[in-house]
Amino acid sequence: MALTDEMIAMLSAGVAHQVGGCTNTGRPVVCRGMAAQHESGRLLVIISSESGFEVLDAIRQNGNIALNVTLPSNYRSISFVGNDAVVRGSGAAWRPLVTERHEAFRQQLERYGIPPDFTNAWYSASDEQLVAIRFTPMLARNQTPGPGAGGAIELKPIEFEK
Amino acid sequence: MSAVFEDGLSLFGVRRMMEGVIPPVLCTASAERVPNVSYLSLCEYVDPLHIALSYQFFNRSRENVLATRRASLTLDDPYTGAGVVLQLEYQRTETEGAVFERLRAKLMGIASHIGMDKVFHLRGADIYRVLEMRRVPGRRELPAAQPRVDLAASSRLLSERMAHCEDLADLLDTLLGGLSRLLRIDHAMVWIADASQQALTLLASRGYETGGAGAEIPVGEGLVGTAVREGVPIRVGHMMNMATYARAVRDSAGESGLTAMLKNEIPLPGLKEPRSQLAVPLRARGRVLGALFVESLHDQYFGYDDEDALMLLGGQFAVAMSLMQPPEQETAAQAAARPAATFAAGPPLRLKRFGRDNSVFLDDIYLIRGVAGAILWKLVAEFLRSGRREFTNRELRLAPELRLPDVQDNLEVRLLLLQRRLAEQNAPIQLEKAGRGRMRLNVGRAVIMENEP
Repeated sequence: MALTDEMIAMLSAGVAHQVGGCTNTGRPVVCRGMAAQHESGRLLVIISSESGFEVLDAIRQNGNIALNVTLPSNYRSISFVGNDAVVRGSGAAWRPLVTERHEAFRQQLERYGIPPDFTNAWYSASDEQLVAIRFTPMLARNQTPGPGAGGAIELKPIEFEK
Repeated sequence: MSAVFEDGLSLFGVRRMMEGVIPPVLCTASAERVPNVSYLSLCEYVDPLHIALSYQFFNRSRENVLATRRASLTLDDPYTGAGVVLQLEYQRTETEGAVFERLRAKLMGIASHIGMDKVFHLRGADIYRVLEMRRVPGRRELPAAQPRVDLAASSRLLSERMAHCEDLADLLDTLLGGLSRLLRIDHAMVWIADASQQALTLLASRGYETGGAGAEIPVGEGLVGTAVREGVPIRVGHMMNMATYARAVRDSAGESGLTAMLKNEIPLPGLKEPRSQLAVPLRARGRVLGALFVESLHDQYFGYDDEDALMLLGGQFAVAMSLMQPPEQETAAQAAARPAATFAAGPPLRLKRFGRDNSVFLDDIYLIRGVAGAILWKLVAEFLRSGRREFTNRELRLAPELRLPDVQDNLEVRLLLLQRRLAEQNAPIQLEKAGRGRMRLNVGRAVIMENEP
């Protein structure tokens, strides 16, 4: 399944990213993500190998992943769930995307009095620590706080080029 | 299990990460190991090994927790950007008791503040045992902010000054002045509960354009009303996007966590754009007598340490207030009658009372109600009847028509409230102390009394 246009737009609007996994022994793990983007029906998410080592281990074990993106300005929050996540590539190639997302996120939080230095603390990974995870979203859940949190949101079918 | 975790961390030491400034993130997984990530409203320290998380809605997270009993939680330091990750084991859900009431009060206080109290509803406090806790590695942390004052030393000094106060007015001024000078808390109010009317009356404030003595809010509304109803402190540390919402609510009904009754309204003092607020109950003899409310124009101005300090100072204030009855050696007979005063020229002052709630109006302008209103009515009636201007507290306490309640509605409090309200209004009638346990009524104009049922 693919993301809707609204979901794709949300990814670049300055969202906070949280990436969750679960080990084969049933241990839920979570870390902060740094960037996400849509790639032809798949999702790419960048995390730090240092702060996200547990999540990377869990994903390597079973491919299960939940990516939560939340827009600070209105608490709109969506989780994308997949079961084919793979850890692919790392390094400076992801820096432009991370910088772009960091800037958008920083602008979001600055409106509410959170200084750039604070946001920078969450984006302090070196180039070598940037790791990419790719997965196909099988399910999207509304995680906006409230009674409907956890409910499914419709994705659209992937359109293949003819 | 030790209460000290990896990296020397303790739950007590990371309490400030539970403020909710940066919402906690909860990760759960189904029995099939499908993860789910969501944000939480509230996380509360319970003891060195346990925390409580708010349970408001039955959602995916809760379904997972009930199935697996496991969860992972991240908390972020709102000052330094540091973070911790916890591994949790679900223990039970509490729907009553101290932890539940604390969580509910905080939730309702915040919800009421932003006008969402009909939506926010706490179903339970989920108690989790903390199995592991570690610091999130690789963050470029900011230095911790320096405390604005030495809270312990400043509180001790203020406590000592309060202990030397001999009357309520002095005690009140010492508390509010000390908060400003010693604790650098420049905006504060003292609210007194009136159990019979389920309302809170503003006794005094400091740091606002208007004093607001005599203003009322219902028990249970806003931060102050909720702190009194639940008997727990409530703190909002980072208004962020709440500020715009709160301002809109204030414009329509008077908000700052404080919604005034529209009837007989006295304008409420309050900051237009508060960024931090804290309300602590004033408790003495097992009862909540009122609340101390403080606010600031700065984000995250009040921390757990402020909450601890104000709870102690507020407790001392409440006990002193409840015990502070002046000597009553004098009798009514000793307060000698005096010749009738001569009044300034001009139309007489109309003093009107509505008997149903003892609300009193001066020339159709609302002044005060309740016990304070009844006191003024009695004093002026006696003055017009006999010309007597001096009265003893004792005769008021024994006056059956005032129907003074017990210690919770301390006579001194009501007299002080009346005195300050008259002064703030620059009314033609003023009340002043005339010695220990005595007061003097000064009436500047002729008075006509009108009584309505």
